[in-house]
Amino acid sequence: MKSKLCKWLGACATLLLAFNAMAADTIKVGILHSLSGTMAISETSLRDMLLFAFDEINAAGGIKVGDKSYMIEPVIVDGASNWPLFAEKAKQLLEEDKVAVVFGCWTSVSRKSVLPVFEKDNGMLFYPVQYEGEELSRNIFYTAEAVNQQATPAVDYLLAQGKKKFYLIGTDYVYPQTTNLILYKYLLLHGIKLEDIGGGLRKDDSGKVISAGKYTPFGHTDYQQIVAEIKQFAAGGDACVVNTINGDSNVPFFKEVAAAGLTPADCPVVSFSLAEDELRALPTKDLVGELGCWTYFMSIKSKDNKAFLKRWDGWLKTEDHPGVVKEKRAVDSPMVLSYDGVYLWKEAVEKAGSFDVDKVRETLESGSISFEGPGGKNTMQKNHHTTKNVYIGDTRADGQFKILKTFMGVQGEPFLLKDLDEKLSAMK
Amino acid sequence: MSWRVSCQNGCSLRLMGRSGCSAPRLFMNLAPKLLVWLLSGGIFFGCFSARADNTPDSDIRQKLVQAIQSDGQAQQQLLNELAESGAKIVHDVLTAWIREGVYLYDGPDGSKIPVILDDQLDPEGKARAIRIIDGQFIKDASGKELRFASADLNTAETDMRLRSSVQQSMDTLALSAPNPEERNSAVLKLGNSQKPRYIPILQARLTKETVTAVRRSIDEAIALLQLADPDPKMEIAAAQHLAELKSIGALANIKSLMNKPGCPLDVVKACRGAVQVIDNHIAFVNFIGTIFHGLSLGSILLVVALGLAITFGLMGIINMAHGEMIAVGAYTCYVVQNIFGSGFGFSITLPISFGGKMIQFGLHIPGLNATGWWFESYFLFAIPLSFLMAALAGLAIERTVIRFLYRRPLESLLATWGISLVMQQLFRMVFGANNVQVNSPSWLLGHFSLNDVTFDYNRVFVIVFAILIVIGTWLLLTKTPLGLLIRAVMQNRAMASSLGVRTARVNMLTFSFGSGLAGLAGAFLSQIGNVGPSLGQTYIVDSFMTVVLGGVGSIVGTVCSAFGIGTADEVLQQTTGSPVTGKIVVLVGIILFLQWKPGGLFASRSRSLD
Repeated sequence: MKSKLCKWLGACATLLLAFNAMAADTIKVGILHSLSGTMAISETSLRDMLLFAFDEINAAGGIKVGDKSYMIEPVIVDGASNWPLFAEKAKQLLEEDKVAVVFGCWTSVSRKSVLPVFEKDNGMLFYPVQYEGEELSRNIFYTAEAVNQQATPAVDYLLAQGKKKFYLIGTDYVYPQTTNLILYKYLLLHGIKLEDIGGGLRKDDSGKVISAGKYTPFGHTDYQQIVAEIKQFAAGGDACVVNTINGDSNVPFFKEVAAAGLTPADCPVVSFSLAEDELRALPTKDLVGELGCWTYFMSIKSKDNKAFLKRWDGWLKTEDHPGVVKEKRAVDSPMVLSYDGVYLWKEAVEKAGSFDVDKVRETLESGSISFEGPGGKNTMQKNHHTTKNVYIGDTRADGQFKILKTFMGVQGEPFLLKDLDEKLSAMK
Repeated sequence: MSWRVSCQNGCSLRLMGRSGCSAPRLFMNLAPKLLVWLLSGGIFFGCFSARADNTPDSDIRQKLVQAIQSDGQAQQQLLNELAESGAKIVHDVLTAWIREGVYLYDGPDGSKIPVILDDQLDPEGKARAIRIIDGQFIKDASGKELRFASADLNTAETDMRLRSSVQQSMDTLALSAPNPEERNSAVLKLGNSQKPRYIPILQARLTKETVTAVRRSIDEAIALLQLADPDPKMEIAAAQHLAELKSIGALANIKSLMNKPGCPLDVVKACRGAVQVIDNHIAFVNFIGTIFHGLSLGSILLVVALGLAITFGLMGIINMAHGEMIAVGAYTCYVVQNIFGSGFGFSITLPISFGGKMIQFGLHIPGLNATGWWFESYFLFAIPLSFLMAALAGLAIERTVIRFLYRRPLESLLATWGISLVMQQLFRMVFGANNVQVNSPSWLLGHFSLNDVTFDYNRVFVIVFAILIVIGTWLLLTKTPLGLLIRAVMQNRAMASSLGVRTARVNMLTFSFGSGLAGLAGAFLSQIGNVGPSLGQTYIVDSFMTVVLGGVGSIVGTVCSAFGIGTADEVLQQTTGSPVTGKIVVLVGIILFLQWKPGGLFASRSRSLD
């Protein structure tokens, strides 16, 4: 008798559950990252972090719009490190899958490639990776670090440390070129003499500086001559190196720096493209004491960050998404900015009471949307960039950063060049 | 030209001309100068005469607290004592103090406890406070760590006078650091500060300093500071002394003194002379440095191309899998390193199911957990093993694929390209798609300087290594019975065969020898660059370029072309100032050269080559 009752109750419960599940609608959300090709190493980590954020939101009851709850249904497409393909995939996400929002892109060139698609179809993209600025699309929200949230705070820090000579070196493409041009002007404005900015200048016919710093191609391996030059540059003391070399060329560069005896105490190197995820594949022994600057470090000791890392580890153990690597994972700034982006969007949708792109954009632009993320408070500004904390740290042997300095609540500003030009000409 | 021998600072012997050389004369006299330069001093010996630091930490902390709380004469006295201690904590606290970062916390008993704040801020911008007296965090009654914003606490007051005396103690402190390299950099920092008030501090240090290189730096720093002296006579003497020392670091300061408005004429003259001497010295340093860099780049090209000179040059196989043989050598290094460390293991699951079960296999080699010099020696074991593993891989490839394709070069190109793709995927499956870390043994790290030219140990090592393997290869090919057979088979396979040489066996051995050489290259590359699945792809083009330019079939040609390309590349990098332009010019040069001499530098003439 008792067992029969149990069965009946059980059946009722199952029915109820089924009913509940039917009541929860789903909303399609796009993930647009390279899951194959050269960028896959970095971008798959962002896919994993986005899936984690979606699972977390779904487990907490989904996104509440009006009196309904929507579960996030991820639509994952592979940009395959092929920039025109990114545009095609973006078109597919917006026109066929009709996703409410897309999280994606790593390289600036992939963002530039999808930008016209998002503007034409009035889509919404959240972009999470540190970039060169000088861009503002009404359809893109940049949770990424703008130049004034990474490069210029790092230079401020070095200036405060009494550095007087800056050597600029990077990989030859748009991000390092633009960043170094901004830094060159920024340094001049802060009283650094022209001959104390190392790496060389390139001018156009009218004598205007169009490129500052030394550039090497992707995959360059021979840094002997450059490091010898840096050593002579640093001989007069108070020198430092600003490094925007991307990818694995950093290994031969830092090995050469270490072998030539350029120590962080005499001539520190601050790198803008090396975060915890990249450090996993680098010989950290050669990098100890060199500087990094990001809006998130895994070593932040706040309660929020500790809880976040614990949830992430727990998710890695239990999740069953295909292709997620479970061992030796690190979390870094682009990953956390992806995560923050998801919650900022969720917050805006719930406040707007709609998934409609125009309404959500209006809410995001109102300046009232913020999220207490692992790296601190993120607030979306009217100019589609976020206000967040900036941290400067030095590398330790275990591939983590020790935080040296925190800038609280730095506002993202994409357009720096014009302002700097004006100030420079006023100075003259 | 007369030479003056002057003995400086006790043991470093320097020779120098009586007057500054002009640039053309400098190069005309290069040969004797080079000899002298090699014999002469300025050698930085890292003497590790660590000064024992006997003062216990708690005493120092006690003094720090007293210094913060006292004032006037007593405070000055304490600061002087602290400056002599050489402890890191003194440096940290004094730094915080002059940046208004030392606070006074009101203790429960009304006492004022000096604290500094932790670097780590929480989201509200607050940090834990560290007591200077014992380095512990401030806690409340229940043992919970308290957090403060800097505005919550009272700053330990400083004024101009105090700040400057604290700064002075910090500078003296840095001069007595235990490590000579740290002392060296502290000395140079003071020299570059251009504040003559440091001269007495440095002179006091000079009497105590024992390491020659640091003594030289102090000498240089004093001269640098005298440059900023208002007395023109002093300035002239300093400029002349700096010219004598050939101080590269002083160049900027001398120039700015020279260009200062109202600078007396004779000072300008002395400065101009000094700038001339130092500029010549820089040109000379760059010249030697560039030749050295060229030799080392050439050696790398040589080690990566030598194997190909055998498999492609001698055997005529267009071996696209040569790069992967290099990678085999590099990964062998990685595995050996891990075996000496904590062990190596991998497991592969094949994407095929067999009777419902996925095929899975793996391997685990327990580590030796070696430490110290025993671990550092892993590389010595890795070198022969890299050769062996790559040779074995070559052997397998030759037996399974290449032996069927000796007369069909185009098919061998496609087949070896296929092999290279398969091997890259294998590396990905076993070692992962990310680069792996190979740590250089400490005896390969670091450098020595001769008259301001830096020689990295690993670069010197690659040059010696390349010379050794070239000699080894040459001996094998010309002085051994196997070498004789190899040359016979490569020159005329049919004739050798008809004379009773087992050509199949010779082919096999030659191919695996060439592959083994590629493995050696991999072992070395693991010390200077990345080790990853696509390592081979980075070097395959360079290898073919070197072999083709040298002349297919000629080992001497490969050696000449490797050093030629290496030196040309570095010289062009130096003169054009851009690594890309240098490379482009080298490539264009090679193309033009091959138009003129299609056979390369040393075209081999043989009746068997049609």
